[in-house]
Amino acid sequence: MAGETALDLESVRRTFGSVVAVDNVSLAVERGEFVTLLGPSGSGKTSTLRLIGGFEELDAGAIRINGERVDHLPPYQRDTATIFQSGALFPHKTVAENVAYGLRMRKVARPEMEERIRQSLDIVRLRGFEDRYPGQLSGGQKQRVALARSLAVRPAILLFDEPLSALDLALRLQLRAEIKRLHDELKFSAIYVTHDQGEAMAMSIRVAVMNKGRIEQIGRPEAIFHEPANEFVYTFIGESCCLPVRFGGGQTFDKSGEGIDLTLKVRPAEGECRLYIRPSRLKLAGEATGLPNRLKAKVHFIEFLGDVFRYHLKAGSLEIFADNDGSIGHGIGDIINVGWKNQDMKVFR
Amino acid sequence: MSEVTYFVVRKRQLRRRKLTPWLLMLPALVIVLIFFGLPTLYMLRMSFNLHFDQRLYVPGFTFEHYGNLFSNPLFTNAIWATVKLSLMSSLSTVLIGYGFAILVWLKPSRWRLLFIGLALCPLLISEIAIIFGWWMFFPKNGLLSYALLSMGLITDKISLMYTEFAAFVGLIYVTLPYCFFILLSIFDGIDKRLIEASADLGAPPLVTFREVLLPLTWTGVLVAFSQSFIWTMGTYATPSALGPDTLWTMGYLIQEQMLGKHNWPMASAFSMVLVLGVALVMALTRTQQSKRTSFHV
Repeated sequence: MAGETALDLESVRRTFGSVVAVDNVSLAVERGEFVTLLGPSGSGKTSTLRLIGGFEELDAGAIRINGERVDHLPPYQRDTATIFQSGALFPHKTVAENVAYGLRMRKVARPEMEERIRQSLDIVRLRGFEDRYPGQLSGGQKQRVALARSLAVRPAILLFDEPLSALDLALRLQLRAEIKRLHDELKFSAIYVTHDQGEAMAMSIRVAVMNKGRIEQIGRPEAIFHEPANEFVYTFIGESCCLPVRFGGGQTFDKSGEGIDLTLKVRPAEGECRLYIRPSRLKLAGEATGLPNRLKAKVHFIEFLGDVFRYHLKAGSLEIFADNDGSIGHGIGDIINVGWKNQDMKVFR
Repeated sequence: MSEVTYFVVRKRQLRRRKLTPWLLMLPALVIVLIFFGLPTLYMLRMSFNLHFDQRLYVPGFTFEHYGNLFSNPLFTNAIWATVKLSLMSSLSTVLIGYGFAILVWLKPSRWRLLFIGLALCPLLISEIAIIFGWWMFFPKNGLLSYALLSMGLITDKISLMYTEFAAFVGLIYVTLPYCFFILLSIFDGIDKRLIEASADLGAPPLVTFREVLLPLTWTGVLVAFSQSFIWTMGTYATPSALGPDTLWTMGYLIQEQMLGKHNWPMASAFSMVLVLGVALVMALTRTQQSKRTSFHV
């Protein structure tokens, strides 16, 4: 079955008044693939998901599930199952009744239904909780029941609508790993919406970075991180320092026109541009010697973040920060070298 | 601390814990007992008094009035008519109020204030003023007749004044706002995503209503129903002002016994039957409520 398309979006468009929420989005999810829609709030990722689930109507384009067009069908006739941010468990039904709901609607026979409820609760490790009401469960347990409820109906595609964003950090990390494990075991097809890049990177086979209703880039997490298609993707994924500079007559200036002591291996063309560097890859002072790109900057202040010290430096009006274990032996006010390799820098105009 | 003193202290703590809720309720309890309990007890006593010689009442003890109440067709018919009218109008009120509340709940919030304002209007006007309003609306030269005529739905002017229908509409109008607000508050406690989740799992709208919305709002429906039923059973002004002369409700007859016939024991007996009847209906609706009254934990 590999290689078959579970879900296909073709130039999907959705507007709310004058706002274009989803702008010509095309995306194909293969059977067994886990694709994440990643983007800031208002980027259209949730709207896209709601279009697939049938909760919003399409303005243009087509949606196909297993090759069949579904965009004219109401949600209850689409073979999708959504895991909502709030869980959306039926509070008047027990855990078992919640999981049974979709099966009853699909008229699954009694013995099979019981078998599938048992299976689904096994998968999310909630056996023994059958007779509890959602009000008696913790946040993480609720989300696991929601997952079991969706898995039980074996939909063509699972839709995750930021299911972990309401949970606290430890639980989020734990459930993230659990969803990843489940996907490795069960190979379900899924679209996962999140604004948390850690989640996106850790779980996905492919990540689609969305901005202003469009997909800016889609690809494997490593590709998104190391070969960003544009400035938005670069700045949105991972931490970065932005240096707005102007090159002219062999010299480098900051915005206000002050000269900057910047040495670059490959000098970009003259004019204004924005230099981006990953702070985690920056080397300071003695560690920077021998690196092809260097900047002289003054230590402005230092933050202690636990496992590292974060040095905030200034060169003219440029601000840059770098993480270090604190062994460089320099303090506030010292002027030191900041160095980095070519691949840790990007230039956008 | 020795074992013995521990148990003594523990016992005292437990007793105090048991007492605390009662102490907290005490002020409210006193008010309820003095202002509602005592008059009801007084009325109960009054209903057994004697009545002769055109005097308001003569102290004594007799079941005569209760017997009279259930044997005289005048009274039994009134009980039956009142129960019928109240049931019909309460059921209709709950139906209309439910639809109205669901609409306001589902609509975007910018419509909400408008709807709530509309629902508040009848509460700002006294029942008497509302009755005067209906007097402009239902008669032959009233608004309704005029509107129907100009729409071409009828050819001759009609009057719906002094009909059971007018009484029915009047009662709904008075109870609807309460019903609406009770139901809206219940709906507001429900996560709207539940409807989407239900549809998502394959339930068509009607099934979603039966499986999700109705069970979650059932308590509200019962409360709204008892609220309007209690009101319509006891009310006196609206049905007698809008209904036909032949519409003798319990409220009307109690008033007549009390003020017209100066028969206080009879009026009290009638009132007791009304109170007990309403209490019975409330107890019945109570049993229909789910054990877990609140799911919004």
